[in-house]
Amino acid sequence: MNVWELIIQQPLTNVLIVVAHFFGDNFGIAIILLTLLVNLAMLPLTLSQIRSSRRMQDLQPKLAEIQKKYGKDRQKLAQEQMKIYKESGIKPAGCLLPMIIQMPVWFALYQSIMLALAAVPEGLLNLARFLYPWPVVFSALPLNPYFLGMNLAQPNFILAILVGASMWVQQKMSATPSDDPRSAASSQMMTWMMPLLFAFLALSFPSGLSLYWVASSLFRIILQYRVTGWGTLRRRPSTDKAGKKYVTFESEDSKKPKAKPKDDVIITDKESLEKSRKKPSRFAKFFEGRDDDEQNEE
Amino acid sequence: MEKTVKTNNKNKTVGLIALLAAVIITIALFGFSCVSGLVPIGWSGGVESDGFMWVGSLEGRLVRINLADSSVLKTPDKLEYPQQTGLFGCSAASSCGGGASRVPVYATPAVSGNLCYIAGYNGKIYAYNTTDLATRWIYPWDRYLEAFVGGIVIGDNKLYVGCSDGYVYALDTVTGTEVGKYQTDDKIWGTPTLADNILYIGSFDKKLYALNADDLTLKWTFLTEGSIFSKPLVENGTVYIGSFDRNLYALNVADGTLKWKFMAGNWFWAQPVIVDGTIYAGCLDGFVYILDAATGAEVASPIPLNSALASTPVIYGNYIIFAAHDGFVYKIDRDTLEPVLIASFESSIDGPLALYEGIIYLQTNDAVLQRIDPETGALLPPIILVTQ
Repeated sequence: MNVWELIIQQPLTNVLIVVAHFFGDNFGIAIILLTLLVNLAMLPLTLSQIRSSRRMQDLQPKLAEIQKKYGKDRQKLAQEQMKIYKESGIKPAGCLLPMIIQMPVWFALYQSIMLALAAVPEGLLNLARFLYPWPVVFSALPLNPYFLGMNLAQPNFILAILVGASMWVQQKMSATPSDDPRSAASSQMMTWMMPLLFAFLALSFPSGLSLYWVASSLFRIILQYRVTGWGTLRRRPSTDKAGKKYVTFESEDSKKPKAKPKDDVIITDKESLEKSRKKPSRFAKFFEGRDDDEQNEE
Repeated sequence: MEKTVKTNNKNKTVGLIALLAAVIITIALFGFSCVSGLVPIGWSGGVESDGFMWVGSLEGRLVRINLADSSVLKTPDKLEYPQQTGLFGCSAASSCGGGASRVPVYATPAVSGNLCYIAGYNGKIYAYNTTDLATRWIYPWDRYLEAFVGGIVIGDNKLYVGCSDGYVYALDTVTGTEVGKYQTDDKIWGTPTLADNILYIGSFDKKLYALNADDLTLKWTFLTEGSIFSKPLVENGTVYIGSFDRNLYALNVADGTLKWKFMAGNWFWAQPVIVDGTIYAGCLDGFVYILDAATGAEVASPIPLNSALASTPVIYGNYIIFAAHDGFVYKIDRDTLEPVLIASFESSIDGPLALYEGIIYLQTNDAVLQRIDPETGALLPPIILVTQ
């Protein structure tokens, strides 16, 4: 057993089996619960990613402006872009880094689900070497693959549709509205291509994997809604002066007044320190449905 | 100028789509290759009859090997799936990610009279003439049952087999007509054992069933704490069965009452062997456990073979031959209990071993029939079982 299997895959697989056992040998519930648990464990990273993306979105008009201004001078353009990022306190890698950190976890979760499904005899034989010496783990196997009448070891059309639909909603919510036709086109492409491809893949792979994709997407939808609202999912048609019809995207953020940049505060006296400690934490704010911007409004 | 820009944009979009598609498909396929055990391969063992070795090949054919001249005869047609579901012509049942539509064969063939029988992972039982391998009958001829993983046993003109649909089927060996069936509460992947007109078979419902072979009525059941895969061993009024609860059970054949049980570190997947009142049981924890057949007490320390033992061992003179999952084949001297490595293969071994005239036959998972002289460890030329 290699390090990856020992540290990541084996614990996740055993937890999955134990959870399934304690929920009436229901593998579907185990997949959903473990997906939610892993999502919750990575909440700080996900939130950081969503917030970074949103800040990047907010900067789009400014970036477009300097693109227009210094489009031909690449060096100057890069300098100006960096300046804007610096002024706004944004690290361009801020969106990517949490995603990169999360990737191995998603991959491990996917592997564990496929492993625990043990849909074929070789799978069951392979699973044996991952098991902890807990009686509950051994007696729970093989797991019951049926969930709401669906065999999670087989592809399922309904779940494939749900994969596509939930992913589309998630993509749509997180898409960046842009005046630049090229950016808009690639954003539009992402919104459709990702859900379609995953729906097609779901038609070929065991639907346990689809259930995991759907649960993940739903979690991200809820998270995205709490942080940025419906985003570009809500749109209203408008007509310009020439009578041409356009679809303009209106995110929840655009309705809100722009956030004031945060000052670096250095607390020097005890009274202020106590006051600052009484303030609710970032997570508490999130779960109460308030976000940084709203705090700033206050 | 405007047209050129539009064309460039269009090309960029097409390029992006292609790149995105390639990345996603690569990730998906890479993911599948990283989780082993998602593709059904098969592990049929061999059975000897009238100088021929019969084995189910991993490409879904029955193969007959003439042991006198090593000539090979295969069934002309491969076993087939009913239809391919899934986008890329595969489904979870038909090797996702593997991309192939071949039907694996896990069950070791059974020979009776002039017919040879094989149970396919596609949910059908096939009977072939032993002379020319022409199909005699197929059960069921008009539909597909769920996958057959366990092997076939034959007795009194009846063929018995357990199916993933949870049924034990009894068929007429000559015509293939169903003469009886018995339903268990979960799927059956194990091979039954027939002894004194009683059929013993384990199910994933955690029970060992003893059925009257004549009419498949229930004689008794024994509930363990784990699913049962292994083939029961019946000897001297006792039935020995391994369960996924890591125990090897010894039960009275008369009423299924427990005599003793022994717990190991993992599942007893393969059928154990008994020699002179001593049980040699290979376990998936990589150890061979040596137990007193009467009491279940350990008569010696477990012998480590360092890899899962899924293959049914064979007895050769004073040796017990074990094949490990990692492709290593050992002989254990019953007196010294020292394991001696006699052969090693690059491919894994999960199917049962067969012994005929002092030669060990086993199929490695690269679809090759390996032949080993256990005395010297010499390898005879391997026989490739798939069409090249």
